[in-house]
Amino acid sequence: MGFFDDTISLSAPPEGRVEATAKVTGSGKYSAEYEVASLCHAVLVGSTIPAGIIKSINVGNARQVEGVIDVITHLNRPMVPAFADEAKIKEARFGLPVFHTDKIYFKGQPIAMVIAETLEDATYAASLITAEYAADQFNVDFEKSYKNAELKTAGKDRGTADSWAETPSVVEAEYTIKNEVHNPMEMHATIAHWTAENELKMFDKNQGVNNVQRMFAKLYNIPAEKIHVVSEFVGGGFGSGLRVWPHCLAAVIGAKAVKRPVKLVLTRPQMFTLVGYRPESWQKVKIGADNSGKFTGILHQARHATCVYDNFNEGITRIARLVYNFANLRTESATVPLNLSMPTWMRGPGDCTGDFAIESAIDELSYKLNIDPVQLRLQNLALEKDPDSGKKWSTNFVDECIKLAAEKIQWQNRKAAIGAISDGDWKTGYGMAVGMWNAGRSNASAGIKMLKDGSITVQTAMTDIGTGTGTAMQNIAKDATGISKEKIRIELGNSNLPPAPSQGGSTGLSSISGAVAAAVNALKMKLAGFAAAENDTYKNVVGADIILSDNGISYKTTNQQFVPYSVIWEKNNLQVLEVEASSAPGDERKQLAFCSSAAHFCMVKVNTKTGKIKIEKMVCAADGGTIVNEKAAANQISGAVVGGIGMALMEEQLIDPKLGTAIGNDLAGYHFAVNADAPIVEVIFVNKPDVNSNPSGSKGLGEVGIIGAAAAIANAIYNAIGKRLRDLPITPDKVLMG
Amino acid sequence: MRPFIFTKPATADQALIKKTNQAQFIAGGTNLLDLMKKHIALPEELLDVTNALPAAITANTKGIRIDAMVRNSAIASQAEVLSQFPLLAKAVLAGASPQIRNMASTAGNLLQRTRCPYFYDTTVPCNKRIPGTGCSAMDGDNRMSAIVGYSNQCVAVHPSDMCIALAALEANVLVTGRDKKQHSIPFKDFHRLPGTTPQLDNNLPANAVITAVEIPGNRFQKNFAYVKVRDRDSYAFALISVAAALHMEAGVISEARLASGGVAHKPWRWYKAEQFLKGKKPSAENFRQAASIAVGETKPLANNKFKTVMLQGAIETALQNCLTA
Ligand SMILES: Cc1cc2nc3c(=O)[nH]c(=O)nc-3n(C[C@H](O)[C@H](O)[C@H](O)COP(=O)(O)OP(=O)(O)OC[C@H]3O[C@@H](n4cnc5c(N)ncnc54)[C@H](O)[C@@H]3O)c2cc1C
Ligand code: SF4
Repeated sequence: MGFFDDTISLSAPPEGRVEATAKVTGSGKYSAEYEVASLCHAVLVGSTIPAGIIKSINVGNARQVEGVIDVITHLNRPMVPAFADEAKIKEARFGLPVFHTDKIYFKGQPIAMVIAETLEDATYAASLITAEYAADQFNVDFEKSYKNAELKTAGKDRGTADSWAETPSVVEAEYTIKNEVHNPMEMHATIAHWTAENELKMFDKNQGVNNVQRMFAKLYNIPAEKIHVVSEFVGGGFGSGLRVWPHCLAAVIGAKAVKRPVKLVLTRPQMFTLVGYRPESWQKVKIGADNSGKFTGILHQARHATCVYDNFNEGITRIARLVYNFANLRTESATVPLNLSMPTWMRGPGDCTGDFAIESAIDELSYKLNIDPVQLRLQNLALEKDPDSGKKWSTNFVDECIKLAAEKIQWQNRKAAIGAISDGDWKTGYGMAVGMWNAGRSNASAGIKMLKDGSITVQTAMTDIGTGTGTAMQNIAKDATGISKEKIRIELGNSNLPPAPSQGGSTGLSSISGAVAAAVNALKMKLAGFAAAENDTYKNVVGADIILSDNGISYKTTNQQFVPYSVIWEKNNLQVLEVEASSAPGDERKQLAFCSSAAHFCMVKVNTKTGKIKIEKMVCAADGGTIVNEKAAANQISGAVVGGIGMALMEEQLIDPKLGTAIGNDLAGYHFAVNADAPIVEVIFVNKPDVNSNPSGSKGLGEVGIIGAAAAIANAIYNAIGKRLRDLPITPDKVLMG
Repeated sequence: MRPFIFTKPATADQALIKKTNQAQFIAGGTNLLDLMKKHIALPEELLDVTNALPAAITANTKGIRIDAMVRNSAIASQAEVLSQFPLLAKAVLAGASPQIRNMASTAGNLLQRTRCPYFYDTTVPCNKRIPGTGCSAMDGDNRMSAIVGYSNQCVAVHPSDMCIALAALEANVLVTGRDKKQHSIPFKDFHRLPGTTPQLDNNLPANAVITAVEIPGNRFQKNFAYVKVRDRDSYAFALISVAAALHMEAGVISEARLASGGVAHKPWRWYKAEQFLKGKKPSAENFRQAASIAVGETKPLANNKFKTVMLQGAIETALQNCLTA
């Protein structure tokens, strides 16, 4: 075994990720780790009340602390041009106008920022800042308030409500889910550096450097090219990095004020209030079926929390319109403004919440109808067309997912009778559910740089938040060029590189694979242009005719009409050959519908005396089109499933309705699943290409792994003990008292 | 974190000389550093006792002595503990995570403070943090709070797992005061109930140092169990925990110990239930009755009624596991 002082090989293991060595050895830098000359440190101070007006802020004691350079508040900050007045603030659509208001909208809202020579000085000084407020009434109580939010139709009705009123079997119930917080391992951090008047450089943790770049261009009214955003290594995001948050702007404001680069790293407690969360929700689902089990109609209503200073609607009812055929359908939704910070997208946003309710309801219906839940689903899936848009699915293999996962978990061992499998106080149950996600694709660009030795660097601005984007790019580039992996480097997460969309909504791979393919094609054509001087064959070729290898270019088959790179480079006096290309979805997206899907199967043991739940088996079969890199893809799914276990059994951020405060804001109290809570997740892929999706045939896999996981677990618990638990998370107390 | 002076005394005497109300001992730091980061503990000086205090486990004819600086992980793997006091090892292993157990000291574990979330939030009232400000948990979220022994000033629970076993095994805490006098405090008297002084967790004399814990020899090598019900399977504090130990003679329980965590401001002994079990056959029915007797002592709060049901089940399970596990 190698120890730290042993010489170790720095090449990534064959199946490893492109960034593995950099991450494991620490040479890869996360945003907060960059060294910048004359850097100073900023720490935010949050409000101690949830609503009101700041009357005064006492910064005197803080300023006395040795090493403190400045204390920024709304009274002395350099103005952000886009926040010049109320109207402009609205127009900027930034959310919280940090340090540009005396209004308090939620507890923990940044009211001051200490900038000091060291983090320790800044942290201590921040603890000495106090404020006086004129406190206002506030409301953080979702449970008491949701009924007041009027439901509005969300999408077109299908059929009528009357036509299925007399349906023989109907289930109707309410479901709730508490706030969940992303809490990626890496804390959000920004280093902001005004390198010249109106030139900004940022090392920032986010899921889209171009998004950050655009936002700051707008806020400061400077050209985007003058803003350089680096986010090369990202320690997890789960959606928390899809927005530009107040702390990020605070760092930029601070750097402007002190005319030095400023680093701001959120503390773990601040991670609970300043970078979004999955909002608390209420849902009601009514589903009917005829005696054969054919669904007759659905009513899906949903409300979720939002903040008072901005709006956010995550679309909980979207999933009701996607998976099954319902001749009659109505979806309604509303948001409930509370004195809390802004919620945001969290893995499987909307769909994963909605799916829990619908898939629980279908399970309930299956018992009522006495039809196996697998059978009931198979007979109602909308496999031909997207029932909402009416477009034909490009590919939809959710039925195959169900069959593959059922076989793997040996569904035939399930007993329809409740609690039929038992060992003393432990009852065993089986449950399943499906999940689906719109498989989107956006415009993206990629570039390639080639050296004389045949090595290439593939570049894009897209981030890799741990999804394996870089690794997939390497795989795609290898397959498309013929150049071996060892000679393909990947560079990403930098706004100086070819632009790409944010990494969210499972669109990353789908978007970037097209761009890499286009860049490879451009490289081939450019090389062919040079090769034509050596060999006439290359005069009239298309990209598909060309094969590259580690040493040179060939025509149609390896070594045919071979022209070595060395010849091309020497004859043309080349140093680096550079190409850039972009790709975008085309007409196929107008004609066809695209989805990724997953089937989750679960086996649990429940202790009827202590309320303990043990997940014995978790199987997920997923359709993500062609699987470009199986290890990274399986890793996505199992990570999402473990997130689903947390959602089902333990994640909840409670808010004290009287105090307006988050109850607990550390990882000792906020539980997400650890290894001990999760079995080895068994992942299976359908692995059939969706040729219309993008050149690689892949469809995004980031979300479907969590959509359906919670319902599968809740359904298994029902099968074990006969309790239909509709409020997440299902903690041991609910098992005992439910 | 407020700036502080850090010193590392070489001996217990040196540590005691420097000890004042503003100077605090630090061992593993797994609790104290968190309290300092959240500005709940604001010591001017830290006295690192990792070199000053012994770290040995010594068995003798009367029992075993575990020194103050023995790390939790060392307790859980020591041969004498495993053979003679297996309940202790079980309880220790149910606590925290391997990383924290590697740092956590025996003395520090005894003195760790409650995990009541309001105690950790300096923007809300808490009598334990600032006496007289009020108790936010009382009418707030008290799911994790006490069901027995609480007062109208504080409903927090003691968080340790190790201490539940130590309570069941009737350990003694050895302390040395600034006057260099040594005392031995019986475990049942070491931690306090909140009463009207919720700011005090225990009866350690002011500025005294814990030097060791002693456990008398016992006959609980065969029938023992530690059951911990928690929201996740590792790295979570107990909703309810039960340490149970039985000694059987001729098919009858001759001695029983039963203690719980997650129920009170201190490790809680169920004396009446223990008394009931004495002389009884180890049957499911007797276990159920013993659990009911314990539950009879409790009075849950608004959000933790489940704890009585869970306690009933956890005691029954623990007693059952004494026979099989
Ligand atoms: C996330 C998390 C989860 C945890 N989960 C659990 C759990 O499930 N179960 C459990 O039992 N514990 C758990 N713990 C708590 C852990 O066991 C304690 O933090 C640890 O035992 C404290 O020991 P320490 O040596 O680190 O104490 P320190 O933090 O160093 O000190 C704690 C206190 O003891 C005082 N002190 C230390 N040594 C002496 C001495 N010799 N004499 C007098 N005073 C002294 C210090 O001044 C301080 O006030 C958890 C902790 C964390 C952070
Ligand atoms: S229960 Fe005790 S620790 Fe918790 S808020 Fe009340 S006084 Fe503070």
